[in-house]
Amino acid sequence: MKQILFGLVLLVWAGLGLSACSPTTTATSAETIRIRWARDPDNLDPLLVDNPSAFEVTNLLHCSLLKGNEAQNRFVPWLAEAQPTTRPLGDSLLLVTYRLRPQATWDNGSPVLARDVAFTLKVMNCPGLPIERDQATFGFIRNIQLDAHDPRQFTLVCAGQSGDRVSISGDFSILPEYVLDPRGTLRTVPLPQLALPRFQSVAQAFARRYQALNLARHPERLPGCGAYTLTAWQPGRYLTLRRKARWWADSLPAPPPELQAFPPQLTYQVIPDATTATMALRRGEIDLYALMPAAEFARLQHASPDQTSLRFYTTNSYEFLTANFNVRRPALRDALTRQALTYLFDIPALIRATQQGAASPSAGPISPRIARYYNDSLPLPSFSPARAAALLRQARWQRQPDGSWQRQGAQATTERLQLTISYRAGEPSFETVALQFRSAALALGIPVQLHPTEQSLLSRQLRAGEYDMNIRQLAGNPFSYDFTSLLHSRGIGNGNTTGFSTPQTDRLIEAIPLATSPAEKARLLRKFQRALAYERPFSVLYFMRYRVAASRRLGVVPVMGLVPGYEASRIRLEKKPTTR
Amino acid sequence: MKRQRRSRRNWPRVLAFGWLTGVASAALLAPSSLLAPDLLHTNQPPFLPSHWLGTDPQGQDVARALVQGARTILLVSLPAAILTLLLGAGLGSIAGFWGNTRLRLTRSVGVAGAALVLSALLFAAPLLARGVVGGIGLLAAAALLGWVLHRTVWGRRPWALPADALVAGLIVLLDSVPLLILVLLVAAVQRPSAGGLVLLMALTCWTTPARLMRAATLQARGHTYVEAARVAGLSDWQLLRWHIWPVTWPVVLVRFPLTVSLLIGLETTLSFLGVGLPPDTPSWGRLLAGIRQSPTAWWLLVWPGVTLLLTILSLQYLSRRKM
Repeated sequence: MKQILFGLVLLVWAGLGLSACSPTTTATSAETIRIRWARDPDNLDPLLVDNPSAFEVTNLLHCSLLKGNEAQNRFVPWLAEAQPTTRPLGDSLLLVTYRLRPQATWDNGSPVLARDVAFTLKVMNCPGLPIERDQATFGFIRNIQLDAHDPRQFTLVCAGQSGDRVSISGDFSILPEYVLDPRGTLRTVPLPQLALPRFQSVAQAFARRYQALNLARHPERLPGCGAYTLTAWQPGRYLTLRRKARWWADSLPAPPPELQAFPPQLTYQVIPDATTATMALRRGEIDLYALMPAAEFARLQHASPDQTSLRFYTTNSYEFLTANFNVRRPALRDALTRQALTYLFDIPALIRATQQGAASPSAGPISPRIARYYNDSLPLPSFSPARAAALLRQARWQRQPDGSWQRQGAQATTERLQLTISYRAGEPSFETVALQFRSAALALGIPVQLHPTEQSLLSRQLRAGEYDMNIRQLAGNPFSYDFTSLLHSRGIGNGNTTGFSTPQTDRLIEAIPLATSPAEKARLLRKFQRALAYERPFSVLYFMRYRVAASRRLGVVPVMGLVPGYEASRIRLEKKPTTR
Repeated sequence: MKRQRRSRRNWPRVLAFGWLTGVASAALLAPSSLLAPDLLHTNQPPFLPSHWLGTDPQGQDVARALVQGARTILLVSLPAAILTLLLGAGLGSIAGFWGNTRLRLTRSVGVAGAALVLSALLFAAPLLARGVVGGIGLLAAAALLGWVLHRTVWGRRPWALPADALVAGLIVLLDSVPLLILVLLVAAVQRPSAGGLVLLMALTCWTTPARLMRAATLQARGHTYVEAARVAGLSDWQLLRWHIWPVTWPVVLVRFPLTVSLLIGLETTLSFLGVGLPPDTPSWGRLLAGIRQSPTAWWLLVWPGVTLLLTILSLQYLSRRKM
């Protein structure tokens, strides 16, 4: 009996010892590049990705037909062999013809074909799936025609004949039909007829199969044709991608930058707190930290141990900080109140305090760097509590003897002007903005409560419209100007978290991508910016500069002005000098 | 000569009193309005005009934040300490005086009490968010339940409440989890309001006063004059009020400065970790947390650190002298 007991104890200890010694999924090797993320992707279903972390992963797992290239200031071929050819069809339609790269294959070795593109479009239009976001952005693709002689060639039938339509028509991840629909049940269903009752059962059966995969949490069940596969994901902690040992683009004689993938393994570590992330970088626990707070960045640049262990990069970005107003709230439903509140942000002082002066104020969501489209006749927002008070009076708010503001609302109710302002906890610049606004608002008699909130909870609150004001970053790019998901009535409940829409702005949002000449596009964009400057669904505080700090064990990091500020797949490890 | 020696021995006591009086005066005289952050002088070092003790990364004046933080201490830690002592003393008295068999209640009271405790545990997060209003609402609901049950025959039947076992079990349960982890766990689920924080700290820190009170009550209960009073026909409540509490109360009272010091430390730690009071409420812990954003700003560590240290040391010294 004693021997059995001794054996059991020995077994338990051996088990514990082995489990302690065995490598965990987070174990890092010398080849792993560790990148800091401020937030978790939350959801990696290709139909639902809606935050920068999720987009970054999706672009490493999957390929689109085209990809935005900042250096060339346009979309360039990615999975497509070349830029698409276009041909107008009647007055309003455009035929956009693509041919896929012949080398492109899925993980099972089968080629990526036009029918995969057709399948992807059907998924994006399948009733029963969460397709609202894709419908808002890609709803203009009405049909796809497969080439009878070339299985890699196809033509998209698009509504609108502008260049923007052509670019956006190639900006969605291509999904593998062999994984999601191995029996090809959707193959016989024409894209425009997918929503018809006679195909309802087929679509519903497919939607059930798709939902059962739970891709939001198990993206590994959907292998893409990108260079990486997901090997581990602990939500809120880390996510690891491993480069495919044999990726189809390796066979290209001179792969373009879009098809280069150097790091054998990428590990993203979720560290919401900026200070903790800086400490992790200094201790060598992460290799790359993008969007570092300006003060920390400047301090590390001048600290002698960090100068030798880190490299520092900055670049202008298309990402901007905004104060969003929930226009569904009675107190914020009128434009004059929103305009008034905008005058309470001291933007020059905030730029100085949070960005060390390295940011650009803007009159709207288009960067002042894009001179062609930026409406420079609009005044930059200024700090003026007196102007704010005057606008509040115009909006029928009345100052009470106790200093607060009230007005008669609908059905003879009394509305009080008091606000909550929510933002991601752990981000010092957001807190500084919130504190400055609170202080200015309080001086004017408007009570403001600060709600620093954990990111995933904050995202849920934004989607549900459970906030008054919110501080967040929004990212744009210089090649496409489709504001549908952000500000159109079709985007409400998805990307349009402010709940804002007016018939005028809806019309402008629809017209901008259809503009066929740069002059017309500029005219519409300027008009749109003017409308936004009046309506103020959000106030743009400033366009940021990306600040990237990276370990010197990495080579020169390719930084860019597009989200996330660097090209992870093109980071190389520093070559060690060989000794003889 | 003797007087001189005594005054020399008393000077730390005078200093402690003086310091605490200073903190209390600062708290009472602190301006209630918040200054606009000075965004042109963020992280400014001390001893420069306009901000003599420097500024934090948000441009808040450190001196003003220290003074207003003292008010937060007074408004949070002091009520929390009083509530902690009252709760601990109350539960300790019940456990020590009635033991496991002497407290006979009607079933209606037992069921209503159990429902109250269960509801408080199940809905802790929303209750903490609503502070005192939530607590009063819950109490009213429990009272209503008790009243309805008491109108039935079943509800009026007597039942012996094992008070000592229940309180001892609760003490063991709460003491088995480290205090900070327990408070963090609850605060992380739902950021508490100021009232909620007071309630949360009281609900987690009452065990030591309760243990002291239980022991003192057990001792006092055995005294002959208590037995004599009982024989003379005094009710349990009269016994407690006139014969037990006058003896046991000082035992808990000497614990007061220590409890305040514990709760100041806890509140500061929570603010430092960013789970305590809202960010626009000035607090020493929040000021200390500024050092994480600006590690070279030594003044964010020194001024609130010294203030906190002196306050806690003064409270601990005074409690030792009392004992």
